[in-house]
Amino acid sequence: MNEIPASETQASATPPAKTPTAKPLQPRAGVAAAAGSRLATMLLGAACVAWTATPLLHTGLAQTALTVAIIAVVAGALRIALIDIPQPEDHFFLPGYLAAWLTFLSILRVLAWEETAVVALLWLEIQHPSRPWHTAALGAALLAYLLATHIAESGTQPSTLLRRHVKLFIVGACLLALGAGFAMIPAASAGAGSAALRVLAALAVIVAAALVLPA
Amino acid sequence: MSPQNDSALRPAASLGASSQAQAEDVLITWRPSRHARRLLTLVAAALLMALLTRNPALAGVAAPPLLILGMARVRKGRHERLGVRVGLTSTRLYEGEPVAVDVSAADDEHDLRWAFNPGHGIEPGSAVTVNGPAARFTFEVPRWGKRGVGSVTLTLHDQWHLAEGRVTFPLPFVDCYPSPAVQRTEVVLSKLPNRLGEHRARVPGDGTEFTGIREFVPGDRQRAINWPASTRRGRLQVNTFAAERSQDVVLLVDATTDVGKPGESALDLGLRGTAGAARAYLNGRDRVGVITYQWGGAHWLAPSLGRRQLYKIIDVLLNADTGYARGAVFSRLPRAALPPGALVVAFSPLLDGRFVEALRDMRERGFALIVVDVLNIEPPVRRRFADTAARRIWLMEQQAIRFSLRELGVPVVPWDGVTPLDLPLAPYTRRPLVTRR
Repeated sequence: MNEIPASETQASATPPAKTPTAKPLQPRAGVAAAAGSRLATMLLGAACVAWTATPLLHTGLAQTALTVAIIAVVAGALRIALIDIPQPEDHFFLPGYLAAWLTFLSILRVLAWEETAVVALLWLEIQHPSRPWHTAALGAALLAYLLATHIAESGTQPSTLLRRHVKLFIVGACLLALGAGFAMIPAASAGAGSAALRVLAALAVIVAAALVLPA
Repeated sequence: MSPQNDSALRPAASLGASSQAQAEDVLITWRPSRHARRLLTLVAAALLMALLTRNPALAGVAAPPLLILGMARVRKGRHERLGVRVGLTSTRLYEGEPVAVDVSAADDEHDLRWAFNPGHGIEPGSAVTVNGPAARFTFEVPRWGKRGVGSVTLTLHDQWHLAEGRVTFPLPFVDCYPSPAVQRTEVVLSKLPNRLGEHRARVPGDGTEFTGIREFVPGDRQRAINWPASTRRGRLQVNTFAAERSQDVVLLVDATTDVGKPGESALDLGLRGTAGAARAYLNGRDRVGVITYQWGGAHWLAPSLGRRQLYKIIDVLLNADTGYARGAVFSRLPRAALPPGALVVAFSPLLDGRFVEALRDMRERGFALIVVDVLNIEPPVRRRFADTAARRIWLMEQQAIRFSLRELGVPVVPWDGVTPLDLPLAPYTRRPLVTRR
């Protein structure tokens, strides 16, 4: 035998010539940081739902979209909150309550809750009569919600990630405003064709911006 | 890093540097991240609804995520090689002893995130996910055995976190040794073999312990003359000393049955007791061997000296598994495994009749035997008459087995696994154990 247990080698342990500089760096144990990003995700999700839902509509489609959005946002928040709980390798001979808990966790982790919430919120938004600035604000809030979700689940430093996005955020905000502005231009002539033309014009501006901006 | 984090990490840092680090070049395959898929969903939904409802404001909603996606240029299907080092501070450890896994990657371009997926029977002692180019995860193994540590998953993100590469490294197996019981005193036989050691024998010799004085005879060493006694008696007197001898100790582990909670079972106690006893007797310069009675017969290691022998013994113990092969018999062990005149210390719950018979056989062959009873569980108390009767019969059977062994001159001492082994063995460590055939 060439090796002896760790406790009996501490005194004589000398680092090898090329030891990796392995240090515990920024563990997710930083409760405050982890809780902060998770709470931000939850609040942004709730804010998006509240922003889109007001004023409340009582049509069938709007209520369905609102219900789906609430469920998806809550489930997404739960997924983020319980992200550190490990999934055991084997599920054999587990008591009922534990099996149910693990099934619940796997459902939370498998389904695309944030995507569902985004689609449901946009669907709810189009149930309302046209309100360009309100929609633009929703677009900004949804982007913030998705970014916060990613920060919470990946443990990335928010400042580092957001600093890289600053230029894009500025251009994106301009385009959001431009989209809202297009929506507010009164149609030259009545009919579906002029409305579609405005949409295509907005899209052309966005695509042009994406092509022109340097990486 | 905050002071709070610093203090939390201090134990991990005190584990020392990792050894046997494996460096390897791994192939990273890039694919869109979950974040990219979410942004894509937002873009697609907003554009579709903008076209359906002819609302340009919704096209504006799609603009910022579309810009991010366009800037990032998702690198789907691209391959890259990355140098990664993985190392453990130790691959052999005792139960409950912290060990660390060190991982590092030579990459400055991407955001790296390490996730430690502990294997079965591994308890992580630190955060299981860490961001950065290098990380240290601590863990401990609560129960002895050969354990797979698990795996480490490395996730790389590009600058925009829209493309991710993921690679998983399996970690090596570690040998977790049973935590040795505390034993400071030793049982010493009255008749010791003629071999130099540290135990005081009854015969005179060249040891350091004074036993008496006698008259000088030619050939005695001059420095042994006791001058005060010689002056009083008027004749030359010399000091006599006890010889110092070593003994052969054979530790016997009964791995045929394992009852009790995992971690506190009879086998756990037996192995911890054996490891503690092996360490104590080897520290006393005795020759120690081990025999494990287990599935398929007996495994043995001939008595020998030294620290190396301790790890050989524990390695033999690691292979102990419960069970008994149908038709297997405990054949007579060779003389090398069970030297004549050896002290035999058995750790057993005394539940297997064949093992008890083997003990009786050894005693009848003249071995000095001590049984440490590691049974620390009883059948549950139930109200039904049949259960109560069965329990009483079982208890009486157990008492009868222990009584029959004591009648043969085999001391049976119960041990709970918590107290030091010195406590139950105290009556036999105070004076030499006299062996009678």
